[in-house]
Amino acid sequence: MSEQKIDGFELKPGFKGMASDTGSDQTMFKGVHWGKAMMWIFLLSDTFVFSCFLISYMKGRGSTLVDWPNTSEVFSLHVGSVPVPLLLIAIMTFVLITSSGTMALAVKYGYEKNRKMCGWLILATAVGGLTFVGMQVFEWSKLIHEGVRPWGNPFGASQFGSFFFMITGFHGFHVSIGVIFLFIYTYKVFAGHYESKKRGWFTKMKGDYVEIEILGLYWHFVDLVWVFIFAFFYLW
Amino acid sequence: MSDEYDNNKSYQAQSSEVMDGSAGSINPDIDYVRPAEVGEQDLYHGHSFIEKWIFCQDAKVIGVQYFLTAVFTGIVGLILSWLMRLQLGFPGLAGFMTAEHYYQFVTMHGMIMVVYFLTALFLGGFGNYLIPLMVGARDMVFPYVNMLSFWMFFVAVAVLMASFFVPGGPTGAGWTLYPPQTILEGTPGSGMGILLMLISLSLFVIGFTMGGLNYMITILQARTRGMTLMRMPLTVWGIFTATVLAMLAFPALLVSAIMMTLDKVLQTSFFMPTILKAGEVLEYGGGSPILFQHLFWFFGHPEVYIVALPAFGIVSDLISVHARKNIFGYRMMVWAIVGIGGLSFFVWAHHMYVSGMNPWFGFFFATTTLIIAVPTAMKVYNWILTLWRGNIRINTVMLWCLGFIVTFVNGGITGIFLGNVSVDVPLSDTYFVIAHFHMVMGIAPLMVIMGAVYHWFPLVAGKMLHEGLGKWHFWITFLGAYSIYFPMHYLGFIGVPRRYFEMYDSPYMTSAVGMNEFISIAAFIVGAAQFILVFNIIKTLKTGKKAEKNPWKANSLEWYTSTVPPEHGNFGERLPVVHRWPYDFSVPGAKDDFIPQTTAPSEVIHTEVEKT
Amino acid sequence: MHAGIIFLLVIIGSVLFHIFTPWYWTDIASNWKGMDDTITLTFWVGGGVFVAVCLFMIYCVFKYQHKEDRRAEYKPEDKKLEKILTWATTLGVCALLAPGLIIWNQYVNVPKNAIEVDVMAWQWGWQYRLPGADGKLGTTQVRNIADNNPFGINPDDPFGKDDIMVESDVINLENNRPVKILLRSVDVLHNWYVPQFRAKMDAVPGTVTFYWFEPNKVGEYEVLCAEYCGVGHYAMRGGVEVQDKADYEVWLSEQETFEQLSARYEKLNVDGNKLAKK
Repeated sequence: MSEQKIDGFELKPGFKGMASDTGSDQTMFKGVHWGKAMMWIFLLSDTFVFSCFLISYMKGRGSTLVDWPNTSEVFSLHVGSVPVPLLLIAIMTFVLITSSGTMALAVKYGYEKNRKMCGWLILATAVGGLTFVGMQVFEWSKLIHEGVRPWGNPFGASQFGSFFFMITGFHGFHVSIGVIFLFIYTYKVFAGHYESKKRGWFTKMKGDYVEIEILGLYWHFVDLVWVFIFAFFYLW
Repeated sequence: MSDEYDNNKSYQAQSSEVMDGSAGSINPDIDYVRPAEVGEQDLYHGHSFIEKWIFCQDAKVIGVQYFLTAVFTGIVGLILSWLMRLQLGFPGLAGFMTAEHYYQFVTMHGMIMVVYFLTALFLGGFGNYLIPLMVGARDMVFPYVNMLSFWMFFVAVAVLMASFFVPGGPTGAGWTLYPPQTILEGTPGSGMGILLMLISLSLFVIGFTMGGLNYMITILQARTRGMTLMRMPLTVWGIFTATVLAMLAFPALLVSAIMMTLDKVLQTSFFMPTILKAGEVLEYGGGSPILFQHLFWFFGHPEVYIVALPAFGIVSDLISVHARKNIFGYRMMVWAIVGIGGLSFFVWAHHMYVSGMNPWFGFFFATTTLIIAVPTAMKVYNWILTLWRGNIRINTVMLWCLGFIVTFVNGGITGIFLGNVSVDVPLSDTYFVIAHFHMVMGIAPLMVIMGAVYHWFPLVAGKMLHEGLGKWHFWITFLGAYSIYFPMHYLGFIGVPRRYFEMYDSPYMTSAVGMNEFISIAAFIVGAAQFILVFNIIKTLKTGKKAEKNPWKANSLEWYTSTVPPEHGNFGERLPVVHRWPYDFSVPGAKDDFIPQTTAPSEVIHTEVEKT
Repeated sequence: MHAGIIFLLVIIGSVLFHIFTPWYWTDIASNWKGMDDTITLTFWVGGGVFVAVCLFMIYCVFKYQHKEDRRAEYKPEDKKLEKILTWATTLGVCALLAPGLIIWNQYVNVPKNAIEVDVMAWQWGWQYRLPGADGKLGTTQVRNIADNNPFGINPDDPFGKDDIMVESDVINLENNRPVKILLRSVDVLHNWYVPQFRAKMDAVPGTVTFYWFEPNKVGEYEVLCAEYCGVGHYAMRGGVEVQDKADYEVWLSEQETFEQLSARYEKLNVDGNKLAKK
């Protein structure tokens, strides 16, 4: 990493330098916006939430009395009459990862004060997220149609449905919250709230483009969590 | 990290000056403090009554709101404990007391005191009030989120209290809420009561997360110029570490609450094995009750330190100020707090030695648990070494601190009994455990809270609390509480199990009837004595002596605000600039026996002060 | 000044209370004397630290009371003193931990000759099952529990046939013979606890937990439930009678086996059917 200067503060080299920089006055993370630091720490906390869910899932799956359902059959989608395992999930994952890409671009254009590009890209991200949630709704209704319930299912251990609906539901809830904020931010970008320095009607705080990056952090996190859920539920 | 957003563009005048404003300094170099990295915080001052006092964004008002709400729940918890003691000391005296009621009171007392009283009071109350003042910030970094945090807590308390009035009453599952009995009939409040409890806990976690993010970022990213990490008061260190613990431990509680709610409402079987009730096999099967215990204690043990660490920090500051001596071994104290915090994530299963988990875990968790005794003991040594060769004011605040040391050491030592796995076997689930945790995380933190109230009341209200009343309050509380919990250990030795509504004629208990009556009477007196404080506060607010600025001659920034009590924005025109740690008491060669943190080195050039 | 005196009285009172207390543990009736000894050791070490710390604190309160004309010492830290204290504490902690772990090791390793006792708990009561002549307990399942199969023994398990059923909340044990208590519960958590034996463990539904002890005193003891299990928790009592070998054998021979019980029920059924036909 190149030498970084934050207004008269030079980061010192080596481990000792890092320790003394960390312990120096005013800020621990030099030049990091408050909101970004907050989001990082919130995400750390949220990581613990998902870890607890996934560890419980591993424990639950390991100790059921009945066999776990064969996931590649349960989750397969029929194209014509041929069951294709993981088809829907592959599309869902693809959409969500793509939306992460558009989000990253939105952050870039935001900092360049390119209001239009930024707005359209956030909108694209929101639409991607919405598509994901829509497909999840489709998958849930398909499973429910096949008789999978939180308290039992015809394929095997009843915990399958419990964990599946709980964890994907909790993740879907995260995505939905993200989508709502993405739509709000789309409006705010197009309305120019991040440039006008006017106080918002809700929080009474002035807007700034950094908020888009903060939302972006959240969105990438939700993506990353999906990768783990994908691996634990669909590939195991 | 090259795409960092540049948030430093709008500097206020103060940061462009290289030097602090003290004109005519002798030696500008030794007073140098780096210019401000971050611009002035954008504060929104409330305009109406509602914005100023109810939906207020000022951390100090939020702190007081948290404090009052927590005290309200604490009084509810206190009344419940009276009712329990009434039953234990004098069975059958209260005619309405059934076993159902008793267990409901036990449960609500435990949950209220641990979560809604102590946690909210230390982090929400003291955290909000003191963090911005002590680190030299104008306010918490996200005032709006901070306000939401309080109101979320308020709703959580309301939901909790509502459970007293639903059919079936509040849950009586014990504060640990162990499944399967928590959500099965046969446990009082297994219908609406437990649901409201779980909802309330979830709301508390959400509200707390909002507050916790504020405390952490304020401490990490919004300190004033010159306030390095190693110049922060230990109060801030304690609250900071406790907040980190809370941010990482509450997720486990949230997850277990969600899973249990689903078990209750949707008949899932996360924690529910095959169960035979009243001759019928229930619709459950395949779940693991022990999984819940792991999740619960992964939250529950750090929770103990979430209460204890702020108490450690606050008491260190109080002792130092009132002994007129620097805290002994400051760096050791900081690392002990951080170390205890880190270790507390690796000891949770010492609550589960006899829970039926794999017995081989016992070796690991006993070892980690006893390791944690070492940094804790170091803290105790440092407190008494701070008193040593000090110049100790024996006032109310110091009395509470001394009371804390006695009760904390006592409770800490009994913790070594319970942490040492095979010693725990005969003692677990007996009154020894009750006595231990009340001493160490009930009475000891309460002593600190009381000390802190007497110490900071002049700052919050601008008036001095009455000393005489304070001393009466202390002695009755300390002697009473000690005589409640010290003998109680011996009930545990006899083998009296906890959570017994009545002992009947068990041979273990007959000899202890007298002791139970004595404990109950002491509990009534100690509880009643707390209203001395309420009376003292009301009296002081009405007729009390006006406090001078910085009445205790302390060094830390909260006493150097532009007005007392501090207004929104805390420090007036300019933020203070910090040149030293807050413990420069009795420095040889100095005029007074204290040097405030804002004093520049050039002003005290002839003293033998050590560089911090 | 009086503050220091009161604190001193509290400490002296605590020590005197401990010495003269009429309330202390019940006489031990099992092999777990090591637990008691470790507690005593912890009392000496821990109590010593408690008294020392408090006395030092009281000394400071007496000696260094506030005087306007005096100044406290200014010495931010003393590395050497801190090091000594850290190591001394570590040593003390190790001294307490070592016996604790050694005894735990004994606690989790059951001796080979221990007789297995299946303790079945429910809201709110106990019953017991002993292995028959084959020395092995039959496997069980909660779903099998019925009037003619109170323990839920799997009917096709050959080891279950000769199991001895004790449908009472009192169990007899042989003196000086190690017992492996196998705990299970059909509904919620319970804990089979006899204070005189010192040992305990939770009964967890869905799994079988265990612990062991060796009773070494003939007599009758009360069993308490030591894990909160609902409204009836406080009333969930049972009993143990520790007997000499001869008495124990007599008692054992009077108990019914699973086979006998099944036969009795079958006869009942057949009789019932006959009655119905008539």
